[in-house]
Amino acid sequence: MVQVKKLKDGSRQIILTAKQFDEITKVLSELAAKTKASTILLADISGQLITQRGNTDDINTAILSALAASDFAATSEMAKLVGEDAKFKLLFHEGEKRNVYLSNVGDNFFLVVVFDVSVTLGLVRIYTKKAIENLLTVFEESEAGEDASAILDQDFSSMLGDMLDESFK
Amino acid sequence: MFINWALQEINLKIVYYGPGMSGKTTNLEYIHSRLDPSLTGELVTLKTKEDRTIFFDFMQIEVGQIKGKKPKFNLYTVPGQVYYASSRKIILNGVDGVVFVADSQKDRMEGNIETLLDLENNLMTMGYSLENYPWVIQYNKRDLPNTESIDILQKKLNFFNVPYFESVAIKGTGVFDTLKSIINLVVQHIQRQL
Repeated sequence: MVQVKKLKDGSRQIILTAKQFDEITKVLSELAAKTKASTILLADISGQLITQRGNTDDINTAILSALAASDFAATSEMAKLVGEDAKFKLLFHEGEKRNVYLSNVGDNFFLVVVFDVSVTLGLVRIYTKKAIENLLTVFEESEAGEDASAILDQDFSSMLGDMLDESFK
Repeated sequence: MFINWALQEINLKIVYYGPGMSGKTTNLEYIHSRLDPSLTGELVTLKTKEDRTIFFDFMQIEVGQIKGKKPKFNLYTVPGQVYYASSRKIILNGVDGVVFVADSQKDRMEGNIETLLDLENNLMTMGYSLENYPWVIQYNKRDLPNTESIDILQKKLNFFNVPYFESVAIKGTGVFDTLKSIINLVVQHIQRQL
């Protein structure tokens, strides 16, 4: 499943196989259908967007996940300051037209659900909770994915160098 | 690093770190203004009324396809001011490489050193050390009077002898060289870790 590898130097590497990606996408599609959410994102705590569902054309989802990750991280610090032992599990932002619901998925990921104010929060909560359980199951299935070394070879480096030269003229 | 085999994407996170007003946001602004719009997303900056970065700046760039894979680079800056220490720590989460933007002016040396130690401390809490981490130094504001010599800057800041660049970020001098260098270092570093 989602391999969260610790490299020799302690850095984290997340690798998602095509199958895992499909399964995750299925869970998110179901959540979108049940909650009528306009946009759903799954991202990792560094702000990296993993996958998205719903209307994602009008929203820059790369930015939304970067902001949401910081939002999450900032409130975790807040939790510490006020004496909470663990992180806050969820965040809710109430708007006039749309609400945003953020909830962590294990230690490394979180969900962003953007929904219309006409949808009740309780409904979103229940289905999001269920989706999180499903995602965690998907995350636990172990399956050997392709290794990053398969792509990041010497060839890749030199081609990347050329591309950078080309783009950064 | 995040690899999505379904979409053939490789995502890397690069953070511009440095003392307040050293030109981290200016680096991103220059990159954003010069790259082909098809390669770069919007530049988001979370600023105070006084134009100081309060949380971070963010921008995603792409360079097309390499062997069918799409490398994407997520560039972030941290707020430089001392009292935003916890924000800096947050932005470093999941970072793959760092550009340290130093202010070359003589009276900013202390700020440079202090921020570099802050970076080392934050990396250490994440289990890394500057000694064997992919990072580069950019000595910015080389056009100003009263700048410290590269010799002295090197002695005081570059104790691990990482690649360094002289820059005038506002004019773009050295900006792309710095970015190219950190991207290459990050990729090499990952290759070595595999």
